[in-house]
Amino acid sequence: MAARGRSAETQTPCAGLSIVFGTALCVHGRKGHIDVNEVILQVEGVSKSFPGVRALDGVSFDLRRGEVHALVGENGAGKSTLMKILSGVHQPDEGTVRFKGREVRFHDSTQARDAGIGIIYQELNLIPHLSVSANIFIGREPLTRFGTMDERKMNADAVAILERLNLRLDPAITLNRLPISKQQMVEIAKALSFDSEVLIMDEPTSALTESEIDELFQVIHTLRDRGVAIIYISHRLEELKHIVDRISIFRDGRHVSTDDYSSITLEEVVSRMVGRRLEKQFPARRNVPTAEKILEVHGIRRAGILHDISFDLFRGEILGIAGLMGAGRSELARAIFGADRMDSGDIAIEGRRLSLRSPSDAIRAGIAYLSENRKQEGLAVKMQLAENVTMANVGAVSSLLGVISRSREMNASRRYVEELTIRTPSLTQVVNNLSGGNQQKVVVAKWLFCDSKVLIFDEPTRGIDVGTKFAIYELIERLAREGVGVIMISSELPEILGMSDRVLVLHEGRLEATLVTKDTTQEEILNFAAGLGRKT
Amino acid sequence: MSNPHTVPTGRSGPESPQAIIRSRVALDRFLTFGAVIVLFAVFSITAKNFFTVRSVLSLLLQTSTTTLIGIGVTFTIITAGIDLSIGSVVALTGTVSVIAALAGVPIWLSWLVGVAMGAVIGLANGLLITGLKLPPFIATLGMTFVVRGVALTITNANAWPAPEAYGALGNDTLFKTGPQFPGISYPVLVMIVVALLCGFLLRRTRIGRYTYAIGSNEEAARLSGIRVPWVKIFNYILCAAIAGVVGVILASRMVTSQPNSASGYELNAIAASVIGGTSLMGGVGTVGGTVIGSFIMGILTVGLTMQGANYFMQQIVVGLVVIGAVAVDQIRRK
Repeated sequence: MAARGRSAETQTPCAGLSIVFGTALCVHGRKGHIDVNEVILQVEGVSKSFPGVRALDGVSFDLRRGEVHALVGENGAGKSTLMKILSGVHQPDEGTVRFKGREVRFHDSTQARDAGIGIIYQELNLIPHLSVSANIFIGREPLTRFGTMDERKMNADAVAILERLNLRLDPAITLNRLPISKQQMVEIAKALSFDSEVLIMDEPTSALTESEIDELFQVIHTLRDRGVAIIYISHRLEELKHIVDRISIFRDGRHVSTDDYSSITLEEVVSRMVGRRLEKQFPARRNVPTAEKILEVHGIRRAGILHDISFDLFRGEILGIAGLMGAGRSELARAIFGADRMDSGDIAIEGRRLSLRSPSDAIRAGIAYLSENRKQEGLAVKMQLAENVTMANVGAVSSLLGVISRSREMNASRRYVEELTIRTPSLTQVVNNLSGGNQQKVVVAKWLFCDSKVLIFDEPTRGIDVGTKFAIYELIERLAREGVGVIMISSELPEILGMSDRVLVLHEGRLEATLVTKDTTQEEILNFAAGLGRKT
Repeated sequence: MSNPHTVPTGRSGPESPQAIIRSRVALDRFLTFGAVIVLFAVFSITAKNFFTVRSVLSLLLQTSTTTLIGIGVTFTIITAGIDLSIGSVVALTGTVSVIAALAGVPIWLSWLVGVAMGAVIGLANGLLITGLKLPPFIATLGMTFVVRGVALTITNANAWPAPEAYGALGNDTLFKTGPQFPGISYPVLVMIVVALLCGFLLRRTRIGRYTYAIGSNEEAARLSGIRVPWVKIFNYILCAAIAGVVGVILASRMVTSQPNSASGYELNAIAASVIGGTSLMGGVGTVGGTVIGSFIMGILTVGLTMQGANYFMQQIVVGLVVIGAVAVDQIRRK
């Protein structure tokens, strides 16, 4: 904290900038211009492996002072691993990172932050019940000589930082009274208060409205003009044109290319992101969609989230749902499952209209939802495997008086353990001790035990290792073959292409396109998902 | 079996993880139950007259009330809730039951009136928690004052004597054979019956399974089609109804209504449950554990009294046991 006082006392042309902008913003004042070719951050041959995955494979990449550098790639391309290495969360196995010409190796995120590399995660790291200034200065509050917090100085400093972002905010206001976009600005201000010269932004626009995005872009421009180097990660390719100077593309843990944004087309970007892939990631598809409608969804609306979505699902079909984060995919599934309210819309199973007030109505009608958050929403992890398998249909192993027959419960779960080859030491194993793939199988077993007619998989392979992924795909294929209707929500386009018969593409809560999988391409789906429409 | 890693039969060798887990569970049971035995042995040796038929019977009687409300509150704690109102419920239900008896209701029916009164308060707790979505701590804290206030208001804060026959439940015994064996008190029998029924309910029935599921992961339970509000309401009704049983037993033992009685009982009940291994985070706990927890507290109290330790010392010891029991659990988890 003592060190932080330094620039405030110094009479330089930058003194007006107050304590917070330190060197980064004073560059302009001292030199009169920003050397845009100065490389501030250089990554060379960085590799990083996790058990079973080579997340980064010899990646090189450089960042210049005063540029906005976009980083794009599909899920699993290695973007977030690289970000975590730059911000000190992970350490590279091989390769070097040079920051301002010196080789650095951060052991934790505090070291990176203090050195001048700030990161703003998609999920904001702020404390909702504290004031704006308290959030900015948390952990290093200025003190009065009596040892109490110097609120006045804290607020004044906060105002100074926020003004640099052209933001007028009451620093004493409680954070949770601000909209998300303003909270994000507070996060940016906090990062800058550490004299950040490099700022990493991970999907900063995913929670913002159009006008809020404009505001954010203005702030980004302001920062860039002051010499801050910004790494901008986004799935929303169409928004890059407003702010990006250069773009780097990653795929499968490798750096594919870096170009000036003006010298590359969006189509090229997409095709490089997709690349060519390994064969035999998916099982042979033998399920045959019938002409029999098993689920009919008509006109689902939910204010601000889902806009008039209608589709049919056929018996034996695997229907993929693609879209970007925040497109409303999970919300659509939860509405069909009765887990979230909807403002209007009809749902019918096998031609019978349902009135869904809760998940239990949907389950009785034969709809099952396998949440993307297995541990939070799918499993009672403290309970036994067998208890989880029967959880949604305990009645089937109970007497009329509600007494559970332990032997019937064991027989039922034993059947699924064998059928789905769940690897477990016993049926009474506590689910928390199983691997991710096996936990997923337990969730599947739970819904099979309900004789579900429609199974909605939400990101079925998230957090599951490659080998088990194949087993999950085989299972999905087999379920469809045996006559259920499967809806599969996925952020991984290869998974959608490899596993589905048709694809619904959502964009901002609207059904943008319904495509036949064998006649479409990853590029086409991405274009619809980004709201770019059919490319000509 | 196609897959060698899959051992669905539930039988496995001594080296298998399952055997280790099973022996671990056995160890857990042994540790808590062992504590009872050790305590009992220590006091039998150090305190004169501790290990006699008469004092064991009196220990059972004294422990029965804490055990009963401990069992009730265990249900609510397993759902990751709590019921702080049970002390007041004990007072009001006893009072209402005595008033009913005084008003000419048959004695046996007046006992049931007390239990029903408890159930009504439990329903109110449950509706506050599920309908208004109040945190259980707040809802039942508020009800603590409301219920106590009602008991004091309707009796004008006086103890009212009940008809003599009303005292049978609290004071009579079964299997009395003479001075050597004064018989087993009815409250002890009630405790045994309630413990067996509740243990069965929690372990073997759907509602018990749902209770664990909600405490373990409420959202997963809801998305599994479990009607979470109903299960919670049931648990609060059960808890308060058992408190009603205790209210009737205490009023019967005194043969008076005692609107001022039983304050702080909820803390004894929660302590018994926690010593017995119930987790305030929900999802974990058993009736058997709570019974043992309650007896650990009971034996300590009686034993220390017989050794001549005063009431204040006992308080200190019981407090340390609560802290120690949970601390040991935390350390062993690592």
